[in-house]
This record gives sequence, C-alpha cells and structure tokens, in this order.
Amino acid sequence: MSKPKVAFFDFTSCEGCQLAILNLETELLELLDIIDIVEFREAMSEKSDTYDIAVIEGSFSRDKDLKRLTKIRETAGVVIALGACAHIGGINSLRNNQTREDVQRIVYPDNPTLYETNKKALPISGAIKVDAFVPGCPVDVKEFVKVVKNLVLGKAPGLPTYPVCVECKMNENVCVYEYGKTCLGPIVRAGCNAVCTSNGGVCIGCRGLIPNPNINSQKDIMEKYGLNMDLILDSMNLFMTEENKAGQEQAPCSPMPPKEAANG
Amino acid sequence: MTTVFNKQSTKDAVFDGLEKALGDYKIAAITKKEGKVLFDYVTDVRKIEQEYTPTVLSPKKFFFPQEEVILEYTFDGKVSAKTNPEKIVLFGIRPCDISGMKMLDEAFSESHGDPNYLSKRENSVLIGIDCKSVCDKDAFCYRVNSQNPETGFDIMLHDIGNDYSMTVVSEKGKEFAESYFDSEIFDYAAYAKFNIEKKEAFAKAGGPFEDLDILPEIFEENTNHKIWETEAERCLSCGSCIMVCPTCYCFDVIDELALSMKVGDRLRRWDACMLRSFAEVAGGENFREEVTNRVKHRINRKFNFLMKKHNQAVCIGCGRCVRACLADISPVTIVEELTKTSRALKLEQRNDDLYLPEKVTITKVEKFTDNEKFFEVEFDNGKSLGHEPGQFVQLSILGIGEAAISISSPPSFGSRFEMVVRTVGDVTRKLHTLGKGDNLFIRGPFGHGFDEQIQKKMEGKHILFIAGGIGYVPLRSLINLTLKHPDKYKKISILYGCKTPGDQMFKDELQYISSLGGNIELLETVDIPDDKWLKQSGVITELIPMSKFDHLNTIAIICGPPVMYKFVIQTLKRNKLTTDNMYVSLERRMKCGVGKCGHCQIEDLYVCQCGPVFRFSDIEDKEEAL
Ligand SMILES: Cc1cc2nc3c(=O)[nH]c(=O)nc-3n(C[C@H](O)[C@H](O)[C@H](O)COP(=O)(O)OP(=O)(O)OC[C@H]3O[C@@H](n4cnc5c(N)ncnc54)[C@H](O)[C@@H]3O)c2cc1C
Ligand code: SF4
Ligand code: SF4
Ligand code: SF4
Ligand code: SF4
Ligand code: FES
Repeated sequence: MSKPKVAFFDFTSCEGCQLAILNLETELLELLDIIDIVEFREAMSEKSDTYDIAVIEGSFSRDKDLKRLTKIRETAGVVIALGACAHIGGINSLRNNQTREDVQRIVYPDNPTLYETNKKALPISGAIKVDAFVPGCPVDVKEFVKVVKNLVLGKAPGLPTYPVCVECKMNENVCVYEYGKTCLGPIVRAGCNAVCTSNGGVCIGCRGLIPNPNINSQKDIMEKYGLNMDLILDSMNLFMTEENKAGQEQAPCSPMPPKEAANG
Repeated sequence: MTTVFNKQSTKDAVFDGLEKALGDYKIAAITKKEGKVLFDYVTDVRKIEQEYTPTVLSPKKFFFPQEEVILEYTFDGKVSAKTNPEKIVLFGIRPCDISGMKMLDEAFSESHGDPNYLSKRENSVLIGIDCKSVCDKDAFCYRVNSQNPETGFDIMLHDIGNDYSMTVVSEKGKEFAESYFDSEIFDYAAYAKFNIEKKEAFAKAGGPFEDLDILPEIFEENTNHKIWETEAERCLSCGSCIMVCPTCYCFDVIDELALSMKVGDRLRRWDACMLRSFAEVAGGENFREEVTNRVKHRINRKFNFLMKKHNQAVCIGCGRCVRACLADISPVTIVEELTKTSRALKLEQRNDDLYLPEKVTITKVEKFTDNEKFFEVEFDNGKSLGHEPGQFVQLSILGIGEAAISISSPPSFGSRFEMVVRTVGDVTRKLHTLGKGDNLFIRGPFGHGFDEQIQKKMEGKHILFIAGGIGYVPLRSLINLTLKHPDKYKKISILYGCKTPGDQMFKDELQYISSLGGNIELLETVDIPDDKWLKQSGVITELIPMSKFDHLNTIAIICGPPVMYKFVIQTLKRNKLTTDNMYVSLERRMKCGVGKCGHCQIEDLYVCQCGPVFRFSDIEDKEEAL
C-alpha cells in the first residue's frame, strides 16, 4: 500500500492547531510511517500539486479564499477540517452577529478597510464539502492522529458523540456547578478528556455541540445557577455562534454524514 | 454458609496492621488528591480519611475500571487475553457501596464469568466501615435496604470509640484480620449498642419505599406514566448519572491499533444507556432514540428488569446520580410518583359501576342482510360514548345476556352511536326482534382501539383498509374518521371482500366513497358474483396488488373472519410490507370485557384489554393469535 499524501493548508486562524501538531514529535514521526506529508507551510517550504488528504486549518472569512478552497477540494480525496475555526467557525464566528462595518471599525479603528473580510467567518464546510473534522481549540493532537489513522484504515473518524460530562465524571471531578461556576460540558462533544474541567476550568465549548443537544434544558440549568439570558447566550456563542444559528436539530455544522454519528 | 465471627481491635492497631499489609498488598482508601476526596492507592496509611460523604465514583472502578485492555493482538492474528490482577485491599467502603459490589459480583459471575472483573475481585480484600447515620440529604440507602449488607465484604468495621468492633464474613477476611490486626477482648455490649444506635439514626431518616417488594409490578403498570416525559424533557442525556452509578456496568468495546499498524489492543470503556449513541446500530437506526425511552430504561433497569433477576432493587440508594444530575432527575421522585399512581389506581380504580350497564334507546334500525342489522342507539342520560375507533361495547338485553359489539360510528357522534349485529345466538337473535324506541343496556367503551399513537403513525402514509365480510363494521369507525381528512394521508385504499353481493353492508355509503375520487379508492370483490355484479370477483387477496402500495410507506389495517388474516398477511408479506406496519382487529370470545374473566386471553394477553386492535408484529409469535 503506498502511503497517502497529506497536505496542510491554513486560512483564518492563529495557526495554533498546526503548531500543536508539530509539537507532537514522537507521534508525528510514527505517523510518517503511514502517511507522507507533502505540504506544510509551518514546517517546510515544499509545495505539492497532488495530495490525497487535505488538512485545513482556519475558517472561511474572505470571498477570495473560495478559489483556493475549491482547488483543494478538487485535488484531495478527503478533506479534514482541523480545529474549531475550520470545524465550526470557532472564535472567528463571534463577529457574525455584528455587521462587517462594525467589526472592521472595532478591529482596525484607524483603517477599517485595511484587510478584506466577508460578512461572516464560516466553517470550511461553509465553502466546500468537508469529510471529517478534528474539533477543539487547539486540537487534541492524539485525536488528530486517531482521525488520520482511522481514515487511512478506512474506518469512520471515530469521534465521540457524547458530551464532555462523561469524561469529566470518568476523571472523578466534582462538577464545577457545585462550586457555583457554569459549564457547557453537557452539550459539548467529548474527546478532549475533559481537560478544562479537570484542571480547574470550565467547558467553554471549543469542540462544538453534540448531536441533538438539549439546549433548552442547558439554558434552564444555567439560569437556575444564576446566569441571565445574555450571559448564557454569550457563553454559548463564544465558539458556537454558527452552530447555534443553524438550529439545534442536528449538530448543524458537523460536516459528517449521518454515518459518522452511528459509528461515533 | 458464610463464616461469621467477631473481633475487636483498637483503631491504632487497625492502622498499624494496614501499614504492615502495605508490603503485601496495594491499599486503596479514601484520600485527598488535588482537592478531590476519592478512593485511591495510598502509600501512607496515616493519611487515610475516615469521615466522608460518598465519593464521586464508587470503588467499582478498581474492578471494572473506566477503561481497560481486555485483549492484545498482532495484526497477523496472534491474540492474548489480558488480565493482570494485583493483590489489593480496599479499605473504608460504605455499606451501600458494598451492596453495590455484591450486585456487580452477581452480574459479572452469572452465566459467563467475566475474567477481568472476577480475577481482580478474587485478589482483593474488602474492608468496610459501617455508617452511624445517613451521610447526606441525597442518600437513600434506607429506602432500598442497602445499608446493612450481610455479605459482599470481608471485614466490616463498626466504630465503637477507641476501638473498631468487627464483623468478619469470609475466610479471606478472617485470615487478613488474624494476620494484621491485633485483638482486644470482644465487647459484645458495645457492638450491640452500635447497631441499636445505627438502627435508630436510620429510622429517623425514614423507612423503605412503600411497596419496595413489588416495584417491578408498579413499573410495569406505569410504562406510559407522564413522569417519564416530564423528566426526559429536562434530561441532557449527559450520561453523568450512569458514570457515577456503582451498579451500572454497560461498556463499549473499542479496537485500537498502534500507529505501527502491527499490534493493537481491544479496550472496554464505560458506556451509558443514557447516551444517545448507545442503542444506535450501523445505518443510524436507533432502538432508543427518544430521551424518554432512555430515562425509562435506566430507571427500569434498577427497579424492574434487573430487580426481577436479583430479587432486590439494583439501585443501592447511594445518591450519587442525584448529586450528579444538573437537571434534578432522581430515582426517588420517580419511584415515589409511580408508587403513588399505582396505589391510587388500586384503590380508586375500584369501580363499583364496572358491571353496571347504562340504558340506551334504539333510534334507528336497518336491515342490511338476512343475518345483519344496523342499529343506532342513544344514551338516555344524554352522555356521549367517548370512544376511540376500534373499541367495542358490551351490549346487553336484560334477562338474555351480554355480547361484545364493535362501535361502528366514528368518534364524536354526540350521544348516539352505531353498531351492526349479526344473529348468531341468544342475545343477537333477540336484538334482531327489537325496533325503534326499545331499550338496550351498554357497558363500555372497552379495549384498546386505534389510539392516538397509531393515528399519528398513519399520517402521510398510504392506508390500506382490508375488510372481509362483517369485518368492515369494526373498521368503519376508523375508515370514516380518515375520510374526514383525506389530505392527511398519502392515499386511502379500502379493500372490501364479501361472499356475495348481497352480503355487502353500507351500500349507500360505499357508493358515496367510490364517488369521492382524489387519493381515495374503493376496491370491492365478491367470491360468488351475480348477474348485476360488474366489479371484481375472487378472493380479497387479489385486490391487494391492485392498490399498488409502496411497502415503505404503507400501513395495512385488517379485519375479517379468522381464515382471512392468514392469507392477507401472507400476501402483504410477499409484497414486502413489514408486520410492524400491519394492524389487525381480532375477535375472541368475551364475557366480562374488562380483563377479568379470562375468556379472551391469548397467552399472556387479554384481547379485551390489550386488543382487539393489535400491531401484528406484537402478536405474530403467539401461536394462538390467528
Ligand atoms: C371485540 C369484538 C367485537 C365484536 N363486534 C361485533 C359486531 O360488531 N357485530 C357482531 O354482530 N358481532 C360482533 N362480535 C361478535 C359477538 O360478540 C358475538 O357474535 C356475540 O357475543 C354472540 O352472542 P349471542 O348471545 O348472540 O350468542 P351465544 O348464544 O352466546 O352463542 C352463539 C354462538 O356464537 C358463538 N359466540 C359467542 N360469543 C362469541 C364471540 N364473542 N365471538 C364469536 N363467537 C361467539 C358461540 O360459540 C356460539 O357458537 C364481536 C366480538 C368481539 C370479541
Ligand atoms: S464540570 Fe462541566 S463537564 Fe464536568 S460534569 Fe459538570 S457540567 Fe459536566
Ligand atoms: S448512602 Fe447510606 S450506606 Fe451509603 S454512605 Fe450514605 S448513609 Fe452510608
Ligand atoms: S441509581 Fe443513583 S442512587 Fe441508585 S445506585 Fe445508581 S447512582 Fe446510586
Ligand atoms: S445526569 Fe441527569 S441530565 Fe444527565 S443523563 Fe442522567 S438524568 Fe439526564
Ligand atoms: S449485554 Fe448484550 S451484548 Fe453486551
């Protein structure tokens, strides 16, 4: 079996996810047993015109990127969205509830039109079809390896469809609600091993919604624990503006076909 | 028989003993770690905490860990099972958790002994510390009687001041106690005093659930109780309740291949029936899609399904799930509510009028055939029958007797309703002699008809009514109801077969139906045509292909003489319709109509209660059904 060629691309993002992957030295070296990396701007200067798997970091926020994305889609057999920005729009999508003009004025008060930008920052699936994603801000590198491995083996990516609470409880944490804090764990996709709540933080939703979250009950609970509706929405929108907009029927920006949910 | 003996040691002697045991065992006990109070391995026995409320996770994690390797393999097919038990002492477990361990022991031993769990259990010594009073407001061990386990541990310590009084119930425990704990003289009075004080303290909190022993029955009675939905509405499906439960033991099995792609592990990891993905199978079909069903399943496992097997509640009342649930969903609330409903049912449902019929007056009679007459009746007291299509009444003529008769008019027909009666015997023959203005008596409506759920399921579908002979009568109520809003269905086909043209009933109505057009079709056939019959002749099964149904989008509703069902169902099956999309209305001999007399029973079903309308898939395995 010849090794699949993998290329990395970045769009609107902090490049933290790619850096996280570069930091994964041993696993990355082993990963090279099963794939060839042919393009990775963060790590090498080569570029390649052919590749089997495209790993895309960052959200889609400039119209002019569409051309490049379409090209990637045409070239790659499999497109993986890497990290919250690419998967669900991420922090970038926070601005989607404001007008472009307001956003430009707030960010660059002296020269609002310095950079071109769309009205919205969308997940990569807002521009092209995405086959798999690695959630998180930044991504969990072990999970990245797992997704790539599973795809190379021809399996479903194998992301959990259950919420963070499951892992949080397995880690035997006392729920942060008992300390008077609020947490999005019950509606957010696990897979991070509840890293935030296990280390004194709360879940802020960087991995996006689980399929079929009970948003109403989540809001009721946050309200019961003293948050007003504005704060509740703010916290839910930090990463998940686009997911929340799309309605809660299915994990909306999840680009995976239903098959993925079944094999979770 | 379990060995039971008593012993007493000073507390210091117990901890000295543990210190000694550290050389031979790993010791797990309550410690503080990164701000959490939990069971963990200790290296300094003096740091063991003795007072605590239940930990987030129970000690089950030592024997059935969150995740463990159950198999190692190489990609070329070499496999090896994986069990590597170490000798451990688990110190300071609460009575409730011991009851929980006992439950797990049974679950992992029965039929197929689980090697991973059992090997760890065999290598462990369980030392409990008894509770003097109920630990916190969420605990409800005393409601399920789990606070005084008699087995499931090796040694139980009772705090009598300076000393621990001990109950030892196993050889393993005896050996351990003798090797590591120096003895004092056993003070029986102090031991008895501890037990009395414990009993009093727990009694203050309350007694066991009312009807604890018959909770499985109560849960069976209440599968459709509204509390399931009200609780499910709040449930986040977060799985926390399951993760923390000492008696849950579902797991997922996952293959993990090393990056080398040459070797791999098969892991098992805690899973939870509260998670949406739990009952999902390939292709996305989910056998427990609704949250309501998941909540129901979880609580039923504790107080019904598994309780039947273990002869005691499988919830040990540790209260962990109550503490963990952000949505305030608690087994206690559910058990109490269901018990209340069942008690109310038992007492209030005493219905003095059960066998008391009400008077109706015949308002219209029409002769349909030589044997069948149509009757319209009206309640003298002006009430309306309030039935669902498919139900029946017990019609009586005083002095003659009672007969079960289907209600043929659609619901909401004011204080009147319609029936068609064939003369077969005493009651029916007498009825045929009566006319307008005469009185009859009615009990009902009874039975389970085409309820809301079935009617909902019918929406948007092609509805195939298949009626043979008098079978048109029980279906007519539903047929006329659907004809009121034909746009709710993809198509309505009415297939009606009779012996001869003269046996057809409701002729005017049939003519009207055939004139409706649109998505409504009427297909008629007779076995023996006469000169005037221009429609189809032959048996009813020949009409089935003519309705051109799409098996994925069709619901068939069947009623007719007993022989008809077999052939109709065969034909439908041949056309790929699945039996969960077939509904039948069955006729049985009936006497009481209310599930008492036993006449109508098919195996464990009373047709008069669960039927006469059945989803065919629910009864197809019952030999007696057709
Ligand atoms: C749910 C249900 C709905 C029914 N709907 C109708 C209806 O709409 N119209 C209608 O005419 N009949 C209907 N029947 C049948 C009806 O109940 C019987 O024909 C009736 O009870 C006979 O009573 P009888 O006193 O006239 O006969 P009996 O003198 O008691 O008996 C005469 C003969 O009929 C048989 N028989 C008695 N009871 C039944 C019975 N329940 N089912 C079948 N055979 C029986 C006896 O074995 C005997 O051979 C229905 C039966 C059921 C169970
Ligand atoms: S801390 Fe957050 S993730 Fe953990 S159990 Fe509580 S709500 Fe769930
Ligand atoms: S739930 Fe009951 S048995 Fe368990 S620790 Fe609390 S009081 Fe003790
Ligand atoms: S159901 Fe709740 S109270 Fe009962 S044993 Fe499980 S966690 Fe404890
Ligand atoms: S802990 Fe509560 S909200 Fe979460 S799954 Fe269990 S019952 Fe539902
Ligand atoms: S219990 Fe049935 S498959 Fe595991």
